[in-house]
Amino acid sequence: MSEQGTSHYIETVVNKTSYRRVVRSRQLLVHFLRDDLGLTGTHIGCDTGNCGACTIIYGGRLVKSCMLLAPQADGVEIETVECLAHDGTLSALQQSFHEHHALQCGYCTPGMLMSATYLLRQDPSPSEEEIRRGIRGNVCRCTGYVNIVRAVAAAAAAGAGGSPAGVAAAGEGAKRSAR
Amino acid sequence: MLLEQVEYVRPGTVGEALELLAANEGAAPLAGGQSLVNVLKNRVASVALLVDITRLDELRRLRRAGDGSLEIGACVTYDELDRSEEVRERHDVLADVAGHIEDQQIRSRGTIGGNCCLSDPTNNLPPIIVALGATMHLRSRRAERSVPAEEFFKGYFLTALEPGELLVSITVPPLPKGSGAGYCSLALAADAKAIVRAAARVTLAAGAATVEDARVVMARLAHVPVRAAAAEDGLRGATPDEGSVRRATASAGEGHEPISDSHGSGAYRREMAPVVAKRAVLQAIEGARR
Amino acid sequence: MSVAAPEQTSERAGTWAGRSLPRKEDGRLVQGQGSFVDDLGMHGQGYAWFVRSPYGHARIVAIDPAPALAMEGVYAVLTGEEAREMCATPFFAIAPEPGALMQEWPLAVGKVRYQGDAVAVVLADSRETARDAAERVEVEYEPLPAVVDAVAAAEPSAPVLHEQAGTNVVWHGLFDYGDIDWALDNADHVVKIDRLHFHRFSSTPLECNGAVVDWDLGTGTVRVESNYQMPMFAAMVIGPTIGVPINKFSFASKDIGGAFGIKIGFYPQIAALALLSKKAGRPAKWIEYRTEHMLSAGHGNERTFLDIEVPVMSDGTILGLKVRAFDDAGAYLHYEPLGAVIWSQVVPGCYKLKHVRVDYTETVTNKCPTVPNRGYSRMQHLWLVERIVDIVARELGFDPVALRKLNYVQPEDYPYETPNGCVYDSGDLPRSLDIALELAHAAEWRERKRSLGTGSGRRIGIGIGSTLDSGTNNFGQSRIINPSLPFSGNGEASIAKLDLFGEINVDIGTTPQGQGHETTAAQVAADILGVSPDDVNVTVGFDQAHNAYVGFSGTYASQFAVSGLGAVMGAAEKLRGQIVKLAAFALSAPEEEIELEGGQARVKGDAGRAIPFIGIANMVYANNAGLPPDLLDGVDLVARYVYVPPFQVPDTERKTGNLTLTYASQVHVCVVEVDEETGEVRILEYAAVDDCGRRINPLLVEGQVHGATGQGIAAALYESLDYDDDGQLEQPSFYEYHAATSMDVPAIASGSIESPSPFTPNGAKGMGEGGGAPLHAVCSAIQDALGPGDAVVADSHNDWERTYRLLRSGEEGAARGVTVVSRGPAGGSSPAGDV
Repeated sequence: MSEQGTSHYIETVVNKTSYRRVVRSRQLLVHFLRDDLGLTGTHIGCDTGNCGACTIIYGGRLVKSCMLLAPQADGVEIETVECLAHDGTLSALQQSFHEHHALQCGYCTPGMLMSATYLLRQDPSPSEEEIRRGIRGNVCRCTGYVNIVRAVAAAAAAGAGGSPAGVAAAGEGAKRSAR
Repeated sequence: MLLEQVEYVRPGTVGEALELLAANEGAAPLAGGQSLVNVLKNRVASVALLVDITRLDELRRLRRAGDGSLEIGACVTYDELDRSEEVRERHDVLADVAGHIEDQQIRSRGTIGGNCCLSDPTNNLPPIIVALGATMHLRSRRAERSVPAEEFFKGYFLTALEPGELLVSITVPPLPKGSGAGYCSLALAADAKAIVRAAARVTLAAGAATVEDARVVMARLAHVPVRAAAAEDGLRGATPDEGSVRRATASAGEGHEPISDSHGSGAYRREMAPVVAKRAVLQAIEGARR
Repeated sequence: MSVAAPEQTSERAGTWAGRSLPRKEDGRLVQGQGSFVDDLGMHGQGYAWFVRSPYGHARIVAIDPAPALAMEGVYAVLTGEEAREMCATPFFAIAPEPGALMQEWPLAVGKVRYQGDAVAVVLADSRETARDAAERVEVEYEPLPAVVDAVAAAEPSAPVLHEQAGTNVVWHGLFDYGDIDWALDNADHVVKIDRLHFHRFSSTPLECNGAVVDWDLGTGTVRVESNYQMPMFAAMVIGPTIGVPINKFSFASKDIGGAFGIKIGFYPQIAALALLSKKAGRPAKWIEYRTEHMLSAGHGNERTFLDIEVPVMSDGTILGLKVRAFDDAGAYLHYEPLGAVIWSQVVPGCYKLKHVRVDYTETVTNKCPTVPNRGYSRMQHLWLVERIVDIVARELGFDPVALRKLNYVQPEDYPYETPNGCVYDSGDLPRSLDIALELAHAAEWRERKRSLGTGSGRRIGIGIGSTLDSGTNNFGQSRIINPSLPFSGNGEASIAKLDLFGEINVDIGTTPQGQGHETTAAQVAADILGVSPDDVNVTVGFDQAHNAYVGFSGTYASQFAVSGLGAVMGAAEKLRGQIVKLAAFALSAPEEEIELEGGQARVKGDAGRAIPFIGIANMVYANNAGLPPDLLDGVDLVARYVYVPPFQVPDTERKTGNLTLTYASQVHVCVVEVDEETGEVRILEYAAVDDCGRRINPLLVEGQVHGATGQGIAAALYESLDYDDDGQLEQPSFYEYHAATSMDVPAIASGSIESPSPFTPNGAKGMGEGGGAPLHAVCSAIQDALGPGDAVVADSHNDWERTYRLLRSGEEGAARGVTVVSRGPAGGSSPAGDV
């Protein structure tokens, strides 16, 4: 239950940190993350929910944060790209993106990583077709998706989806951080 | 893209939601928001109060009734339809349609009720809902009523919902014995918007030598899903083979003046209608034979 | 010959250059730690929102900002008239008259000329308030008839966009090389094609434009933090207009979320924001939204080719081509009419065409201004040439592979001078084609196509796209458009520095958007300075305050590997010379005996005699007493170098000259399946072979190939920007403009060969833009899937509906769009066998 009005007190957990904030009704969740919490890894690309640059994991589900309002996040646990690495060690997917040159400008990358992370949680060993379906909602203009698909497949093969968090380090490759 | 000033409220029960919808002029229910939030961003419609119904348990139920029909709460998501064993078992085509709506993010949030209530002619679910003979259950503060899906869609972004009324659930009856469903979109790209699409339910007579009954529903020829009556008549009694189906569905595009837009001309939509109708019917026949 | 994709090292692997190193840039980007423009801000900033025209063409009757100004939180509103009063002169024009009379100011004045033309800009205390206020700026328009076709715009009866010019024709020129009249008179066959049309689209970076601009009234300095991809070009264009000298600008670009040439177009917005900041007395932040981007950020060039005539000999030799070309610049000239000469870098395409006449007209229309979209202007012309080759093959019965191989510039022909004096530096097109055909399993598909009987409802088509990616252009070619322009040559600058504790830092004048400049610059500097790329810090982004730059600096036009790395190599060599000089003194050894290895300078063959870089730095920065004065003469450990390619000023009368230093090539092969009932096109197999000379980092080169391929496929099948007759854009958002997804772009098999450039410091050639090869290959494949009586593929964009019409064209008796006049014996048989 949330009271009727144009501003709302919310409690939310983002990347395992609790926040209590007052947000506006018309504030998009992506603006709350970027402007209020300073989590600028989540990007805005299209404004119409087509490009996926703003993709986050919200209550365990993959969503586009430009298609939700900030007050809706009350009581919801959120994960953004900023949670993927631990103490400077990249997740297996991040590392695989690095090694396979799966990013160029890097603007779609945070959303793409969240979709790939979610995909491997659902299905630790997806086929190429399933990988392509899993990132269908994330537009990349630089890579033709070729190396992204390769990177996700390689991370899956290395067991990236096998651990409970789906983002934990897997194999030796994951322990080296990107330069 | 930034919204106009708007109020937001998240009621705890359907009853509270109905009270809020009745008491506030310009109130609108907010379900998955995958279309409504865009409408608000584009400022093409003005909403004074958003009533967030996404967390109401009653609207999120999905269950099988005693008669084998599925009762699907209005806030059941595409993803839940896609992954539900109940839906897969009885209406795999419905599950497939839901599982191919755009992308994972949209399927996580978008709801069957929202897809229907917006009555956007590009939406995926209305034609299959109509083809399957579903019933829409509407509730207001004072009353409750049920409307056949075929009568629910009234026009471009227009449904049978009255002000203050909420779509609560949808009943999808079991497929009649010897029946199958089919669905075909001619889409711009994989899992993208359709230029034209068709949904069908076909019942074969005992022995599967002839078609006993058929419902063929076309989308994007008009603002709402429309039955292709001539195709249905032509199918009844026909042999369930490609040639007969092709002949029966040849007129599926007639009698409409579909719009021309950046995705296709009206003429192309009309010409493609028989193709998608034929393919949907053939898929339904194949399903009926299983 | 191995065709396994892709080789992981260059044929000339240095210690570091030539290796497939993952990028230095990635660490911050995969962790969401990039600094994109919307992540930046300045103290006290307001948020800007542009008021844009809903009409394609209209007179501005009145603007009333009062209702907006009355709102709480609104700082200022700037209208077009006000902006003009604050300006000294309209933006610099590249064109001579009449194009020079098509003036543009920071905001529209008097008229709007396309849907999205900005008439005012609002500054407020929040983004939301700015948008709310922009909606309350009352603008009264008087709609005018629009013209949305480049050919129609040239007609005297067309509505005129810019009354001062009195015409919509920006520029007209005749490019006439060889003797096309002789060729047409003496050819065995003349193939005539009525009309070909290269469509309008945008590579559409995922990050929209944006800028934070502060006009510091105290110092008169204008700070611009933006994602503009060619900052010093913006400074040169807007400086004279808003009255700011270059040394009072402070341009900076950090991480840029893709650009592809589109981010060259928004200097008017930057100028408007500067004036808005000046008026409001506070910084102005503007982040474009997607619909605004689609409407007004800039589109690629659309070109219509009419009355094409192609002389062909009976053995298949194509003698040349004759065409009338109409290029659509949109409403204002943002980089145009440079496109009117840029295409002539590739006059004969990949072929030995000797006789070429192009009657070229560029017009303004009531559409979004065009900007140099990836493959700029050459792609359009290369598509024409590739369409011609395929149509000639079909009409005269040649095998498209054999016809290409017969007419290609051959490996032994390099350096090959084109009819207009350009020099193709190196390459092996026949081999590239062979590799591409093999990677795409073309022979197997050809067999499948033969065995696929009628009645399957499916057709298979195999297509080829052969292209050139001309890089490091000679800006002297702008004088072919306007002989009075003070531009020629090209260049890029870099600074290599040994810092206080012996750290190495490299600055470049470029503004990368994913090309990996930090990595490749570090690779080449590391080789010269005897360190690892990890030890070379390449400054992230560009800042006028400390980066080196020249007038040409920026990231565009496939040139970094040559001009950018040429500058880095020069700067690193200079720095190396200084280090060696200091080390020779410190180690009491001759300079020739000093080598740099592992972060120290040492005497060759005497490992004990060495000084670490920190020691070298210390000699200059903190411990210089007692050093001989001549030792420090010219030695400051900050080495600036400008790479200047060897160019001459072109002959502007004859329109000839060497317009580009390098020519990378791409040969693509595409196999499609076409659904006969619907026209749906599905790509079954796709191969791309790239030859960009020596590759500094093969991994990154392959990434660029993938990207250019993905964008080209998207444009060929999914992405088009169309206007209705009133000048309304039909695809103003990603709802209508289907940006291709991971399910639309197929797997791409890539291969490569290396034909080193003899003209560059490192044998490399610029690459990245590609030549639009997928557009050519997809059109070619669709053509191959059609029946012999069907029309020719005449448009570069073929969605399902257009393909369906082509499939029906034969039986419906539609005009085929092509005729053949033959004198000699019919071609018929393939000159060099089948695939």
